[in-house]
Amino acid sequence: MYQYSQADHQLLQERVSQFRDQVQRRLNGDLSEEEFKHQRLRNGLYLQLHAYMLRVAVPYGLLSSNQMRTLAHIARKYDRGYGHFSTRQNIQYNWPKLEDVPQILDDLAKVEMHAIQTSGNCIRNTTSDPLAGVARDEIEDPRPYCELIRQWSTFHPEFNFLPRKFKIAVSGATHDRAAVAVHDIGVRLVKNDAGKLGLEIYVGGGLGRTPMIGKLINPFLDPHDMLTYLEAILRVYNRLGRRDNMYKARIKITVHETGEDKFRELVEEEWSQIKDNGLRLRDEDIENIKAHFKDPEYETLSDFDADYDAAILSDPEFAHWADKNVELHKKDGYRVVYLSLKSRNQPAGDVTANQMDAIADLADKYSLGAIRSTHRQNLVLSDVKLKDLHRLWKELKSLDLATPNYNHLTDLISCPGMDYCALATARSIPIAQALTERFDSYDYLNDLGDISLNISGCINACGHHHVANIGILGVNKKGVEVYQLTLGGSAREDASIGKIIGPAFTADEIVDAVSKVLDVYLENREDETETFLTTYRRLGQAPFKERLYG
Amino acid sequence: MGKFIKDRKPQEDSWMPYTGLEDIDSLPGGDIYIPMEEWQNKREELLLRNGKLGVILENTDDVAALKDDLDRLDLIVLQFPKMADGRAFTQARLLRERYGYKGEIRAVGDVLQDQVFYMQRCGFNSFELREDQDIPSVIAAFDEMTVTYQPACDEELPIWRR
Amino acid sequence: MTLQVYSASLLKEGLVAYLCIDEDGISWSTDLNKATAVDENSIDSLKAEAERSEKENIVVGAYAVEVTQTANGLEPVENRERIRAYGPTISLPQSGSGLSGQHAA
Repeated sequence: MYQYSQADHQLLQERVSQFRDQVQRRLNGDLSEEEFKHQRLRNGLYLQLHAYMLRVAVPYGLLSSNQMRTLAHIARKYDRGYGHFSTRQNIQYNWPKLEDVPQILDDLAKVEMHAIQTSGNCIRNTTSDPLAGVARDEIEDPRPYCELIRQWSTFHPEFNFLPRKFKIAVSGATHDRAAVAVHDIGVRLVKNDAGKLGLEIYVGGGLGRTPMIGKLINPFLDPHDMLTYLEAILRVYNRLGRRDNMYKARIKITVHETGEDKFRELVEEEWSQIKDNGLRLRDEDIENIKAHFKDPEYETLSDFDADYDAAILSDPEFAHWADKNVELHKKDGYRVVYLSLKSRNQPAGDVTANQMDAIADLADKYSLGAIRSTHRQNLVLSDVKLKDLHRLWKELKSLDLATPNYNHLTDLISCPGMDYCALATARSIPIAQALTERFDSYDYLNDLGDISLNISGCINACGHHHVANIGILGVNKKGVEVYQLTLGGSAREDASIGKIIGPAFTADEIVDAVSKVLDVYLENREDETETFLTTYRRLGQAPFKERLYG
Repeated sequence: MGKFIKDRKPQEDSWMPYTGLEDIDSLPGGDIYIPMEEWQNKREELLLRNGKLGVILENTDDVAALKDDLDRLDLIVLQFPKMADGRAFTQARLLRERYGYKGEIRAVGDVLQDQVFYMQRCGFNSFELREDQDIPSVIAAFDEMTVTYQPACDEELPIWRR
Repeated sequence: MTLQVYSASLLKEGLVAYLCIDEDGISWSTDLNKATAVDENSIDSLKAEAERSEKENIVVGAYAVEVTQTANGLEPVENRERIRAYGPTISLPQSGSGLSGQHAA
């Protein structure tokens, strides 16, 4: 993990003092709510439906066990005993008091955490692949690049009052686990035929009212040029992005209205003027950051373990979990373990303080003290020995963190919806829970295979419904919550935006509607290896429409 | 007189805004600044005028249009029509870093305590504060943050190269 | 018949609150049933008090909420306002209760 320098620590301390002062000025009336709002949002503090909500940054999804313990402490001391992991790998608290927030930030700063730029029209926390550094399909570790982006973007004086929020994701593997295509800027680390490292730069992806897939504006950027190139993109956006209409202010609209080619030209022209300035990365700059992300001291292990094999044979429940929630690791004898935050008992992404503490202990015991959060609202223990899997599973099971559903139907993304969110027009969590209860059978989920189901409670699409194989969007129709179904989206390397299949369903109908969609797939797939998405793309909407409305 | 800070100190402001320039001889004496469009229309004549001259830009103006005139301009005024509109941050940096402007760059509009830190980093050195701002607090805000990661007008290099 | 109450968020706590006016003066309560409910024609008096509380930095974002008088007390008409009044419609995650007591998947 990145180790904070003296300067990093000092910056957090200064930020805490600054925010403490801003809160004080707000409480004594020196700052109006309108102006304070801009300041508190830049520190992740929203005023939601029931209370304030504080979003704490988890930079590119990496957490130490000590940081997790502090998150538990905050949940317990200042909140109502739980937190919520978001699709951007951050954690949100739903009930903090404004008066307590400076102290919360102070507690966070002690473990090198903060809420800087987790909201507001600025560059947000950079997200990445939760398997960075351990994935078998990794081309290059994205974390050093994420950290460079973190430093470059933190309190960037020119880009702190952008037309709209700005999200960057970086992926360094063949498979995209960071949804780079639906970010304002997506960066993919790639290698050319000569084995040279380069960056694919995608611009103008995003969800919300106008979902768009990012456009590839540079297919092979020299990594040394990453920050100057990003600076050029942001500068063009800060100048040209629309400020007359907040629904047209994201860079995806700028790119769309300017035209992809013209936009690229503007970026290149700007970049040509700054590409050799101090922000250009030298080899040693990259190497120095890389040194923070060196492999831990892995043991040399066999990739076979007799006890593990025996447990798989004797304990079918363990075998199911191992099949679904465990992935290969780049080192033999190690595995990557997904902790499912999608049980029947808690809203998607929610974790209690007790669970957090227990996860921290498990990370220390089994996974070199490190935890990652994922874009699909789960957690990961990235370095678990094969021989420890059975013991770990038992502990996870007792914590309700072992639902065997990773990348399966009930591993659904859900935004908080109208149960918490001031913007939402419908509830998401009760629908997610109804679906989770209906599709509870392991055999059924297993049969369905790899599939994604996402739910948003309004058009802002925080639940990423557009890029799910099956997406559900809750809207308010004459005072009643109704749910639109979209099919065929993907957030991976084959990213696509799903299409609305037809008229919306009521809350009572939507689970049956999903069930019918699944039936059509199961009846029509060529064989068990054909995924839902492939079948849908082959068949198109017609048979699904026929079943739902025919 | 409004609340005015220049080079981190409260100061008297000698500059007067002026618009509606028709006849060059009707210009008042003293230090005046005029809209960009009027500058461009009467540029040749204005260049011959004695006395200090400044220009005020819309935040949609391209600062490159002034690049040949920068030696003659003692003041460039950039606007923050509301605090959330950050286009002038880019204008200021380009004036300083790309075109080497050495004169005064002034922020007007919603110029607030919580913004001046970013403004100074982008090259602003004078500030017409909004009336409700507290001058000592604003001056203290310049140093509220001392750690900077990225290059800007005050630092050529990012933190990892300093 | 629908009535109106005034609602806002408490500045310090962020919690949902309702405007109460009685002989002791004005206050804000998190309990909807303590709210002063008026018919539409009298809403301006509530509005003026609510705006004053905003100016005094006691509450944020005040607005009128439509309610009906039921046997159980005041009840908001809109779904969103019911959730604001009564809290999330789902059970909140419980740290202390121990998961073994709940049904595991």
